[in-house]
Amino acid sequence: MTGALTLITGRQWRLHKLRLILTTLGIALGVAIFFAIQTTNTTLVDSLHTTIEKLAGKATLQITSGDSGFSQEYIKTVRTTAGVALSEPVTETMAVTKLAGNEKLLILGLDTSSDLQIYSEMFDEGGLVVKNPLAFSSRADSIALSRKFADRFGLKDGDKLTVQTQEGAQELTIRAFFKSVGAGEVFGGNVAVMDIYSAQKIFGRGRRIDRIDITNSPDVSVDELQKRLTSQLPDGIKVTRPDLRGQSLESSVSAVNAGLTIMSFLAFIICAFLIFNSFSISLNQRWKEIGILRAIGVTRAGVRRMFLAEAAILGVAGSAVGVAAGYVLAKAAIGVVLNVSQTLYGLAASPKVLEFNYVFAAKAFVVGVIASMLAAWLPARGAGQLDPAAALHNIETRKQEVVARVPRLVLGVVFVIAGLLLTAFTRPAVGMNIQLAYVLFIHLGMILLLPKIIEYGGKILRPFMNALFGAEGLIAVETMAKSPHRTASTVGALMVGLAFVFSSGAFIVSQKAALNHSLDKSLNCDIQVASSQQLQSSTYHFSQATTQRVVSIPGVDVYDPIRVGSIDYRGDTVSILAHDMNAYFTISPDLLDSGYPQSAREITSRGEGILISNNLALRWNINLGDRMKIDTPGGSLDLPVVGTLDYFRSEKGTIFLDSSLYRKYWNDTDADYIFINLKPGVDATDFKQKVFDALSDDQNAFVYTHEEFKQWVSQLIDQFFILMYLQMVVAIFVAALGLANTMIISVDERQRELGIFRSIGGLRSQVVKLVLLEAVAISLIGLGAGAIAGIFNAYFLVNTAAKVVAGFTVHLVFPYSMVLLALPLVIVVAVAAALWPAIKAARLRVVEAIGYE
Amino acid sequence: MKSSERAPILRLDNVTRIFEGGSGVAALRGVSAELIQGERVAIMGPSGSGKSTLLNLICGLDEPTSGSVYFDGADLAKLDDDKRTKLRRQKIGMIFQTFNLLPTLTSVENVALPLRLNGTSSRAASDKAVAMLERVDLKDRFHHRPDEMSGGERQRVAIARALIFDPLLLLADEPTGNLDSHTGEDVLQLLDDLHAEFNTTIVLVTHNEHAAEYCSRHISLLDGEIVSDEPFFRGSVNPKK
Repeated sequence: MTGALTLITGRQWRLHKLRLILTTLGIALGVAIFFAIQTTNTTLVDSLHTTIEKLAGKATLQITSGDSGFSQEYIKTVRTTAGVALSEPVTETMAVTKLAGNEKLLILGLDTSSDLQIYSEMFDEGGLVVKNPLAFSSRADSIALSRKFADRFGLKDGDKLTVQTQEGAQELTIRAFFKSVGAGEVFGGNVAVMDIYSAQKIFGRGRRIDRIDITNSPDVSVDELQKRLTSQLPDGIKVTRPDLRGQSLESSVSAVNAGLTIMSFLAFIICAFLIFNSFSISLNQRWKEIGILRAIGVTRAGVRRMFLAEAAILGVAGSAVGVAAGYVLAKAAIGVVLNVSQTLYGLAASPKVLEFNYVFAAKAFVVGVIASMLAAWLPARGAGQLDPAAALHNIETRKQEVVARVPRLVLGVVFVIAGLLLTAFTRPAVGMNIQLAYVLFIHLGMILLLPKIIEYGGKILRPFMNALFGAEGLIAVETMAKSPHRTASTVGALMVGLAFVFSSGAFIVSQKAALNHSLDKSLNCDIQVASSQQLQSSTYHFSQATTQRVVSIPGVDVYDPIRVGSIDYRGDTVSILAHDMNAYFTISPDLLDSGYPQSAREITSRGEGILISNNLALRWNINLGDRMKIDTPGGSLDLPVVGTLDYFRSEKGTIFLDSSLYRKYWNDTDADYIFINLKPGVDATDFKQKVFDALSDDQNAFVYTHEEFKQWVSQLIDQFFILMYLQMVVAIFVAALGLANTMIISVDERQRELGIFRSIGGLRSQVVKLVLLEAVAISLIGLGAGAIAGIFNAYFLVNTAAKVVAGFTVHLVFPYSMVLLALPLVIVVAVAAALWPAIKAARLRVVEAIGYE
Repeated sequence: MKSSERAPILRLDNVTRIFEGGSGVAALRGVSAELIQGERVAIMGPSGSGKSTLLNLICGLDEPTSGSVYFDGADLAKLDDDKRTKLRRQKIGMIFQTFNLLPTLTSVENVALPLRLNGTSSRAASDKAVAMLERVDLKDRFHHRPDEMSGGERQRVAIARALIFDPLLLLADEPTGNLDSHTGEDVLQLLDDLHAEFNTTIVLVTHNEHAAEYCSRHISLLDGEIVSDEPFFRGSVNPKK
């Protein structure tokens, strides 16, 4: 029997090559996206880990304090701690050079008077080449380059290299080269070394360093040394193993990872539905064949096995193609993701060569095969349950398909409501996997409701199609509505695909709306002057002198210089914003969502209290009046929370304190932003130009009006969601494939009907019109269902991706205009997808079609 | 075959139809005949004699391998597909053994369909369809779909659809083949009444001798050839028998 069933399946494939290709493509797409995102996520995290570990050299412990650094006085404390074998202070500066494309260069400030054993990989014999060691160590402008970087730009000993600093462009002289290994190979070899004291001076670091790399003595374990150092240093200075530092950075990009994972899950649902669609259609197409098989002795189980075996084989083929395509997709995506991480989080990771991860590939492969078989399960079961006698009836005696039964409808409504309620009241601690189940409930519910949606959609469309397109329009709608088994799976595929598109759009629009609202409330200044084009930079700041130059320009009414930093808070990296709180409240009087503005202003200005973001409060259940302990390089701060506000800078949360505190505890007087309110009558555009003129020769500055800043932030969001935009394109493509698939099968299944139509006088052109209109009707109902499912999906994303992952309260803003804009696009796609089947239908031989069984 | 004083509505001129494939089956061989307006002709013969093939050629669904089919003065082979198709909603009505109604449309919609395909407005076509359905005694079935009606009712709908545009020629392929004898009798009587009313030329393909009695001329086919073409008088002994 297996051989016979294999033969039958093989013949089907030969007859319906296009359906076979489309089904395999659907599986391949789902697997490709799944594999690409898993690989991208892992590569991003691995890149961060690799960068840190390579930069650490042989260090077994590292001492750090956020990204603003700490005083070099602690070097003495470290070196006098028993168990420390070697210790090296380090500054890290990601400098922009004047080389082609403004190439970035990581400049490590090291104590070049020591033997640098911790970095011996770079500097062992033959590794470090210094023509004139005396000149190198005595000249403050000396720089050593990695071989790779030097060769790429044809730089030789004695050449000049210009870099951008806080004080403007500085010219450095190349006086040494080192091997591009270990730390020398991070960021594609864009690494340089300077003497640490020169680096501090040139880059305006004062007496601050970024870290101390340490090796332990053989007689003292790493854990023991860690305990000893921790006890000797302030709470705000952390002693960690290099690999655990990587984990901490990993949590910084968890939002990116979570976002990508959710997207891949939704994309997989679309592709699984395409597979279900294809097998459902196959069942409809082979209705009579199955009836005959059953009539001549094939058991129900045999029929089910035939369908499932077909699904398994297609799953294997599709998954294999998908894994290969996913690898290519990952290669394209990783550059984007690394760029996003740097722009949003200031985290530079080495662009790792993308390795083919066999474990992920195997996982994606197995998931693809299982998904294919699961998606085919219901159609296979349906095929097994076909009544052979009923299946062999001719077309007029087949009863109108009754699929919209009450229990199914009730179950559908229950699923949708359950999914929405669970989403609304979910606790963050529940975990991502369970939360993803909620969106699955919603989709399952909508799928169960599809026949009813099609029925109502048909009723709505009927008079319009009849009036606009005559008999062809009427037949098209009736054919669509009266064939729920054929139509439902296609409408479903369209619904899921379009829901993904609309909900992604809604999520982005909602985020932007929330952000704009927050910016209007909490960044309500006329002019913003930024030291970097990234949301945060560990390198470029405004010195006090530069800040003074800017705020001295006539026209300034109120100004607020802001420093951006970060601290470790309960294992999370939380942002710190140091404001002139008095000026901040003047510029943004509606700042707070909770708390008393007047008293909050007074308390924070005195350095006796802090404000926190709402997501930080939600994450750690912090209420007004609660005290927070903040570990700083200069000691611990214990301050009450006197206000909270919506702030979207960091998904782990943000703390606002007065700059006097920051200066005292971080020993840092720099600024990253300057908020300025202008005097009445001062033109913002003129003022911008004056800022550029004041800083033109020696300092990069980015000056925005309030509206321009909002636009810039909007562009950052677009960058963050670029992968989502790409997936939207994929979703539309997959949905169009599903529609094309359906129309091909629809024409095949309705040959007799179309033959009748032709026999009573229907022209070929009218047949084409009829088939195209059926596709349009299906796509319009899919659009409507997709809009409804899109609202539900968007609600889930806003609650889960924003609230649960990041704690952001984002109100749902659904872009109804997007649905309207999608309308002509959907019609065009429907017509394009159905064109070939329509032409095929017009060409059918009427005599054969009428005799067609 | 004798030609009549009236111009023939249909003329078959040495028509042959050979189907390709295998040894090349000759479904029709050198068939010639003329029909005049208002005639009722039964084409009879066993299975495989070429009856359905002949019908397909007459209505333009198929083309002869050689010879010509003239309808209303025009050589069908010289007409393009669109023109031949339009004949089937303007001048030639068709009734099938398996009714061939569109299952997703109601009776009114099925009957109105040829008019709507011709560009008649929905309302005008529906009004005419309603009148035609009343004529075939189906006024209680306007909004029923085919699967909600009996076989006889479906065939009445098919007849109404075939006659709604006052065709010159009505082709009926085994119209009672799927009906019980009583219902079949009703359908034949209906055709008879409608013929009297509209004077439509009727070509009835059947292997049922009783059905053929409603026609005034019998053409017998065997193995693709006309073996007899005789007038028939109902209710009396056929002088040729």
